[in-house]
Amino acid sequence: MTMRLFAVGLSHRTAPIELRERVDFARAGVPAALEGLAARNVARELAVLSTCNRAEVYVAADADHAVEELFAFFADYHGLPAAEIAPHLYVHHGADVARHLFRVAAGLDSLVVGEPQILGQVKAAYTLASDARFTGTVLNRLFHVAFAAGKRVRAETGLGEGAVSVSYAAIALAKKIFGDLSGLRVLIVGSGEMAKLTGTHLRAQKVREITIASRTREAAERLAAQVGAEVVDWTGMPGAIERADILVTATGAPSAILSRADIARAMKPRRERALFIIDIAVPRDVEPDAGAIEEVFLYNIDDLQGIVKENLARRTAELDRADAIIAAETAKFAAWLQSREIIPTVVALRERFESIRRAELQRLQPKLSSLPPEAQEQVDYITRLIVQKLLLAPTEQLKAVSDNSLAATYSDALNRLFSLPSPEPAEDGEPATDPRTRS
Amino acid sequence: MRLVPLLFYAAAAAAYAGHFAWRDARVGRLATALLGGGLLAHTFLIGVQTVQAGHAPLVGTTAAISAFVWLLGLAYLYVELTSDERSMGVFVAVLLVGLGIIPALDSEVSRRPPVLQSPLFTIHVMAMLFAYASFALAGVLGLTYVLMFNEIKAKHLGFFYTRLPSLRVLDVMNGRAVAVGWVFLTAGVLVGGIWATQVQNSPDPRAQAMSLGDPKILVAVICWVLYSFALYARRAIGWSGRRAAWLSAIGFVVVLLNFVPVGYFFTRSHNF
Repeated sequence: MTMRLFAVGLSHRTAPIELRERVDFARAGVPAALEGLAARNVARELAVLSTCNRAEVYVAADADHAVEELFAFFADYHGLPAAEIAPHLYVHHGADVARHLFRVAAGLDSLVVGEPQILGQVKAAYTLASDARFTGTVLNRLFHVAFAAGKRVRAETGLGEGAVSVSYAAIALAKKIFGDLSGLRVLIVGSGEMAKLTGTHLRAQKVREITIASRTREAAERLAAQVGAEVVDWTGMPGAIERADILVTATGAPSAILSRADIARAMKPRRERALFIIDIAVPRDVEPDAGAIEEVFLYNIDDLQGIVKENLARRTAELDRADAIIAAETAKFAAWLQSREIIPTVVALRERFESIRRAELQRLQPKLSSLPPEAQEQVDYITRLIVQKLLLAPTEQLKAVSDNSLAATYSDALNRLFSLPSPEPAEDGEPATDPRTRS
Repeated sequence: MRLVPLLFYAAAAAAYAGHFAWRDARVGRLATALLGGGLLAHTFLIGVQTVQAGHAPLVGTTAAISAFVWLLGLAYLYVELTSDERSMGVFVAVLLVGLGIIPALDSEVSRRPPVLQSPLFTIHVMAMLFAYASFALAGVLGLTYVLMFNEIKAKHLGFFYTRLPSLRVLDVMNGRAVAVGWVFLTAGVLVGGIWATQVQNSPDPRAQAMSLGDPKILVAVICWVLYSFALYARRAIGWSGRRAAWLSAIGFVVVLLNFVPVGYFFTRSHNF
């Protein structure tokens, strides 16, 4: 019985938010979940990935019934009836696990395609599992290839590019106009929810100062306290526009509050210092033809949403290239996994030859014992060399087989021809830590 | 041998174009390496020519173009390495290739006529060429500024938007390039004027033709006026941004006109 790779989980694609909220390994801490899973004694290696949009368990196990155990674990651990959770769980086997994890790490499976946080979350999940020594040869390899695949997709495609929310689109534009935002003055006109949201975002960009103007002074002061801003009287607005680099308008006024002439008047003493106007009010606060003034960049909410839509479309267009990278990395990983499947047969074959050699030496012991010790050593050395050379070519050939059914055929033929015992699971290269025997 | 720098520049231009289109950092590094290789080969070539002729190969328009290409490449490489910004590379490299063809086809080193045997001549030519290289960079920066400005203004964020640095960075770099170029242009014109008065009595007809009436000298002075205005406008009346960008782009077109067609066909004073 060789080691099998499984993944079981649910995500925003298969489960509604109500269920995702209840299936949350992070609530009691991922280490606790790892311990809980390890206690079930089904897996030799395991890792738990938990984000707000997905809960997944990756295991390398000897037993085929591991999947049922994992289903039960999902239900029991969260105290949910199995029947309620089972329809939302997906299962991946073997190389499909790799494809899935690589897609996740690259952000292809995310709610917002190409979002960058997920790669860090996958890394964190791996670190937790490997620090607790729950990972071994298979999962170590799986996750490291996933990090590389995620990085490749990011570096070689435009998947992560372009802002995909209105606030970030506005900030990206401001950066494209002004470069560094830290020296800039911002004027926010309005004191509603949108004004607050934009103010918070700009504050996070460490702009030099934020000033708020509102028809009601109290509302302006309340918002100013929340985002750390100054307040200017409604009548002082023209002067404030003159000083500002970025003007955000978000009032609930029924018609435009700033005409083209107002803006033109404020622009005159500024010479050619650019003014970026973000008009997120509906109906609009700034007359649209103010955007025709030299060095004024006027974007309203529709313009920004248009940019977001374009960026999303551009990301989608990059999906094919990303998928090609994922496919290539998956194929490489599948070949490696395959080469591992044949390892037990190789080991058994080697042991078979070695036992024959020892048996023969044992049988000849009475005759050999009359030889001087150096000659005895030579005999031992030469026989070992012969066995090694005989096995060299077949071992290499076996490891190079990448076709699934061919490998099984070879394995079967070798087992029969050399009447090999049913092999033990693979243990090669880096030692695979068995969680059950951890100290 | 004289084709080697050009081949390097052409390969660098292709790599810079690839970097601009695909934004692959490895292609970008390759482009920088190719440009560096071209400049090394070019330095070697100029060195060989200097040894062969016994003086710096600055006599005649073709030699001047070769030296200009070399200086522009060095100046750009310096800017790229200090700013870590490769997106201008494709524009500069195309210019290097376009102008580099001329000396690659004809690299006979002209003999230096007696009238040019003065250290002032070398200083004059080097200062002018360095000024032109700065203006070339300013022109490229201005052109890209206008391209991106128009995209942002039209709310169509496309090709240049995703590839160029911010407008402010382009504007600041443009201002610096114009200022540096202006200093060298002023020095070059002054040294040239001093040298022209010194050789006034030379029997060489070209020395006689050194006056404001000669197209090459006239256009150089027009350039000086234009860039002086650009400097003044930026500092005193706040002409930055798109207008400054246009000025530097137009200025460089004038420089190019003076360099190639005027240098080859019209001047009577600078046809060595």
